[in-house]
Amino acid sequence: MATAAHADEHHAQHIKLQYQSGLPIPLGKTIVWLFLSTEIMFFAGLIGTYVVLRFGAPTWPQTHEVHLSEPIGAFNTFVLICSSVTIVLALEAARANKARVAKLFMLCTFLLGSTFLGVKSYEYSAKFAHGLYPWSPHSQIHERANLEYGSAVRARLKTLTTQYGDQSKELFDKLSEDQQKQIGELEKQPWSDEVRAQYVAIAPQLAELKSRIQKCNDLTTELKLEDPNVDLVQVTNKIYPPPDESASGLPWTAEPEGLNGEYPWLKLPFVVPGGNMWASTYFLLTGFHALHVFVGLIVFLILMTMELNAARAGMLENTGLYWHFVDLVWIFLFPLLYLF
Amino acid sequence: MSEHSPQSHGPVVEPHDGSLGYDMSAHGAPSGHDVHATGIAKYIYVFIALCLLTSLSFLTYSSWWRANFTPAESRLLMMAVSCTKALLVILCFMHIWWEANWKFILTIPAMLMSIFLILMLVPDVGWRLHHASEEQKFHMAQPKPDQPNPPAREQPSPAPSS
Repeated sequence: MATAAHADEHHAQHIKLQYQSGLPIPLGKTIVWLFLSTEIMFFAGLIGTYVVLRFGAPTWPQTHEVHLSEPIGAFNTFVLICSSVTIVLALEAARANKARVAKLFMLCTFLLGSTFLGVKSYEYSAKFAHGLYPWSPHSQIHERANLEYGSAVRARLKTLTTQYGDQSKELFDKLSEDQQKQIGELEKQPWSDEVRAQYVAIAPQLAELKSRIQKCNDLTTELKLEDPNVDLVQVTNKIYPPPDESASGLPWTAEPEGLNGEYPWLKLPFVVPGGNMWASTYFLLTGFHALHVFVGLIVFLILMTMELNAARAGMLENTGLYWHFVDLVWIFLFPLLYLF
Repeated sequence: MSEHSPQSHGPVVEPHDGSLGYDMSAHGAPSGHDVHATGIAKYIYVFIALCLLTSLSFLTYSSWWRANFTPAESRLLMMAVSCTKALLVILCFMHIWWEANWKFILTIPAMLMSIFLILMLVPDVGWRLHHASEEQKFHMAQPKPDQPNPPAREQPSPAPSS
């Protein structure tokens, strides 16, 4: 018995138990694939929600009504496809132990990713400039041309009048009492040099504020906002006209202008049926995608500080998998958001 | 006492050659690392294909296409193009084409979960509009009467009075 036990103990010393990962791939790659599996479900949920909301909505804004440009979206798609190629070429170069070539391709990928984000931020700024925000109080979007909308336009014009009146008063208050008195008594000209200089300094601003107040008052009359039978559809069409798709010229240049375009400081409420839901889904989807692009760019920057030789090929492959997934998401977002 | 085969799961006996007793080439397909040195030509072909497919999607935006095809046909084409592009990226750029069968362990459950997730959204989100309260309907989006190109979708059916 003792001999047998000794033999077992001896045998056990020679057996070294080692746990291996369940998949015949490096652990890092397994983790990246598991992460991507969760990402698939994350974006499937977001895109699925968009599709369900979009096709369940009673109405949805036209692409040009919300300042979406199809060519810009197509350009960004092209940029991401190019970046997918450059990162896969970087991987090939790293596997061939050509570290400098790999780094060059990584730099190209980084620049392409940055271009994508630059274009996206330009698109965002165009939306924000037209009052298309996904949140209050910046959003000027109303769903219906109803009484609530009419009172919102009136309230906005009244707020502007009060605001510009207050600003004029503030400017005037900066002058001394004596100066105010001299300016107020116009018939007592000529003023002293000091008063003249002060007045010259504030006069353009005062004139601008006065013209804006006048414009607000004129619009209240022109749009017949005090009339109980006012046609609010006409009001919103003057403030934010629908794009004329039949207009000559390039289709994407058919951008609505209207009062908000002519006087950007007005920021009057306008009606885009389904616009709030559009803004919520558009900014959520593209925002999360842009966040993923941004994270990818940070990883690229870190990788570019390293020697991208064959030993780092695994790291590069994992980064590439993530980046291709980012490209993959955009492949679906582009037609869904820009062309549907 | 049964012997541990190299392919069995769980703890395995470490062989003396340090290979973890796991034959990478014994899983139905060669490992991706062995195949990649076939040049970059395939990536260029896929890149060209992706550009052409994107152009095809973009074609639906042209006035000629809009005059000759319905929105449903356009959408069908766009989704078919997107799925083809996604397949090309997954198979070629993500090297799934050359990977062993482990790929199914990760991808199929994720795909199934995604499909179930979307199906579960339909009653939660999609049908919500068909059971809107009077207050919700009062604030609900409504196409402008003189909208030049109103969407061809129908209004939600009136909710049953509660």
